[in-house]
Amino acid sequence: MTRAEFLARIRGEMGKTRGLFEASPASRPARPRERLDLLRRELAERWRENLERFAREFERVGGVLHRVGEAREVPNAIARIAGERQMKSVVAWHGDALGLDVAESLGARGLATSAAPGLEVSATERGQRRALAAAADLGVTGVDLAIAETGTLVVVSGAGRPRSASLLPACHVAVFGREALVESLRQAGLALEAWHEGAPPEWRGASINFITGPSRTADIELTLTRGVHGPKEVHAVFVEQGLTVARRV
Amino acid sequence: MSEVAPATPLRERAGRALEDTFLQQALTIATTKFIGLRREAFDEFPEGEALRDQARAIKEATLQRLDHWLETLIDNIERRGGHVHYAASAEDARQIVLDIARRTGSGMAVKSKSMATEEIHLNEALEAAGVTPVETDLGEYIIQLAHERPSHIIAPAIHKTKGQVAELFARELGRETQPDPEVLTRIARAELREKFLQADLGITGANFAVAETGTVVLVTNEGNGRMVTSLPRVHVAVMGVEKVVPSMTDLTVFLAILAKSATGQKLSVYTSLVNGPRRGGELEGPEEFHLVLLDNGRIKQIAGPLRESLYCLRCGACLNVCPVYRQIGGHAYGYTYPGPIGILLTAMLNGPESVKDLAHASSLCGACADACPVRIDIPRMLVELRKEVDERRIAPWPERVVFGALGSLLRRPALYRLSARLGRLFQRPFVRGGAIRRLPLFLGRWTRTRDLPPVAARTFQERWADLAREGRR
Amino acid sequence: MSAAPRAAFMVTCLGDLFYPEVGEKIVRLLRRLGVTVEFPAGQTCCGLPLFNSGYHGEAAAVARRTVALFEDAEHVVVPSGSCAWMVKHEYPGLLSGAERTAAERLAGRTHELSQFLVKVLGRRQFRSAVGGRLTYHDSCHLLRGLHESESPRALLRGLDGAEFVELPGGDECCGFGGSFSVRLPEVSSAILDKKLANVEATGAGCVVACDAGCLMQMRGGLSRRGSRVRALHLAEVLADGAGEPGSAAAPRGGAA
Repeated sequence: MTRAEFLARIRGEMGKTRGLFEASPASRPARPRERLDLLRRELAERWRENLERFAREFERVGGVLHRVGEAREVPNAIARIAGERQMKSVVAWHGDALGLDVAESLGARGLATSAAPGLEVSATERGQRRALAAAADLGVTGVDLAIAETGTLVVVSGAGRPRSASLLPACHVAVFGREALVESLRQAGLALEAWHEGAPPEWRGASINFITGPSRTADIELTLTRGVHGPKEVHAVFVEQGLTVARRV
Repeated sequence: MSEVAPATPLRERAGRALEDTFLQQALTIATTKFIGLRREAFDEFPEGEALRDQARAIKEATLQRLDHWLETLIDNIERRGGHVHYAASAEDARQIVLDIARRTGSGMAVKSKSMATEEIHLNEALEAAGVTPVETDLGEYIIQLAHERPSHIIAPAIHKTKGQVAELFARELGRETQPDPEVLTRIARAELREKFLQADLGITGANFAVAETGTVVLVTNEGNGRMVTSLPRVHVAVMGVEKVVPSMTDLTVFLAILAKSATGQKLSVYTSLVNGPRRGGELEGPEEFHLVLLDNGRIKQIAGPLRESLYCLRCGACLNVCPVYRQIGGHAYGYTYPGPIGILLTAMLNGPESVKDLAHASSLCGACADACPVRIDIPRMLVELRKEVDERRIAPWPERVVFGALGSLLRRPALYRLSARLGRLFQRPFVRGGAIRRLPLFLGRWTRTRDLPPVAARTFQERWADLAREGRR
Repeated sequence: MSAAPRAAFMVTCLGDLFYPEVGEKIVRLLRRLGVTVEFPAGQTCCGLPLFNSGYHGEAAAVARRTVALFEDAEHVVVPSGSCAWMVKHEYPGLLSGAERTAAERLAGRTHELSQFLVKVLGRRQFRSAVGGRLTYHDSCHLLRGLHESESPRALLRGLDGAEFVELPGGDECCGFGGSFSVRLPEVSSAILDKKLANVEATGAGCVVACDAGCLMQMRGGLSRRGSRVRALHLAEVLADGAGEPGSAAAPRGGAA
């Protein structure tokens, strides 16, 4: 069936309806990017409360929050997490996407670390990198939004931001600063509107993921089990002074 | 007709379920747990009630301009390099997916849980065409290994014990193991991880599609939705036309209530927004993205009596609270969609004949409508279906005669009073100690487990003259 | 003070044929509260069984004559939540034109018994006609159809001489569902078993309901299993000598 035939069928039925109640979709912000900037300035005042709430909800869904003062302490935090679990290999987002370069410093701490390339690579290399991610113990990503209401990490895929880093390794470590914090799902909705206003930036990928805790299932006798397909553990490292490289969002 | 009617009558199917002790236990535990989790989630979310109203309004508003929102969706998906296909029937949808599989030389397809692909019985078609479908949601994986069908919209394998799952894994995967959910899950993870990395084709449903951005949204807890949409070369999403929502703002309204209704989580673990094929610079993502828009009886209901069931989010909340579902479970319904909403969806997909018995598998208690995140008036539509079954003379003739007679009786007070007298006469041999313990024919269906009060020696109407006198004193 | 309220009693088919003593109690109770009770002759049934089974033409014919019967009533009092719901929610949609207008008028004046007592008459204090512990089953149509859970509870909590306890799963269906109870009797009975197990676990001597359908189902099950627990209509636990003899009988809706 063609598009035209299919839609004609729908219009035909729509023409027969009567007595419908008045209803409208949710009203959308007119200039979402401006609104989002405004919101971020407001939220900057309340980041401590929002971080507390995020911490509470994140822990409730099984996440572990770590706090560090400065970006240069991040590799240590990651290395500690890896060390406690005898993890040896790491895949990470590209430095520009993450907000800091971790490959070298983690390598120096004995972790075989591979950071994603920031540009398009060949299909062969993509395959190799995917295999690397599948074999890695730990994946390091940035965070585009941290939603306090639900304890959710939002990650946007793209150049230097492989989806697999938060998916294939058994342990996911996400690094974020106060600028990622929003209060509610509704505010996250504003960010989604803003991100889709106009043409997407060159680096932006085709997938946005809301991650609320580690992968879980209750499919066998309702017994809660972690790490069925995605990571068994999710850690978030909060950098109080912010990240060194200005992140592209 | 797209689905095969069950071979045995509903009452027999229900009877078997009632005798299955494990099923009874599992149903009670699961539904009670889901009910509690849902209640807690909404108790601590005071804005939930207003959001439910808003979600309902968005669904209705979208239906009122469905052509527009679908066109917007299609344009935006095509702009991002995706392909959109149009399936009028289950057969069309299967054919579209098979053609894609064939053209891309796909030998194996990994699937994330999708009621739409269950509804079109895609797996059988794939197998017949030499493509191996692998269900990757743990519950779906279990029932696929067992060659069964899901018994709950969001917990497909609640009818199975961990012991049964362990036996199944031993038999089908050659992995002997303890019946421990943790261990069983680990085995499934390893088995399925291989499949994710090998599969050529990823098949999903869609919880929503955002028209303004051309985004397909998948909600999972396990992460299989992310795998299926990121690792294979080709991603095909099969989606009912009613799943489209206008904007990202609308989407967040639904996200705020969906998981709370389904599992009591604030959000499911993964909400994946997929916007067409892999973009330059990405390491993962399919080279091809296809959306199959599915009619299969839906479009006719835009102006039909079941219109409201097009609001359904497939959260399963109405199943958990339904006293009938809680007793008989999903399989006894006999079709893809179980529970109260399932009866409506079955009628939508397969016509009213398919539900001539199922339409009555409800006490009309209204718990479903109460639990529904978008407040679908399920009982009203069940009554509408019963009406259709009656008016189109699908209902058996003796039933139509009985109700016709009842109708004339209740319109004629003299006849009504006469029938009370006749009732007293006929019940005489059956009354023991003030109760009727056994009656013949279909009334025996009542008295097999319950006593029945006899028609009173003097009805209220016969007593009224005395009562009126008493009042005047 | 306004004149004594007038109420027409809609006995309902189950109330008329099987539970006439409940109707008698209601009439006496209302009179003790100063209500003038009328009983329009020629009543049969509200038509709910026809409606729910999909026989809407027949149900409309029944609705039409019921609306006419109660046309002059100031208030209509119904002992069953489901019948009250039928009149209030379904009658208008079954009829059209002037009949629909009349049905809408009737809908606004129709009250289930507990609602009439609490919301129209403003009465909550009664002596209990039964002793000991009692519990309450929410009938589906009253709870989810008429959104009423408070009025019956207010009356039961206010009972002098009885102890009210909540029933676990009190808001769940008893499995009656009219023709459902004979179409799928095994399922209906299984639902009932759960309900009765919950009732018995409360240790209450009786379970109260505001619907003759639920009572028929629960009584049928209790008597079959030889239980000592009784299923009673609300009117059967409210002693018909009201708590405040001789007190004002005029409506004072909203009074605590």
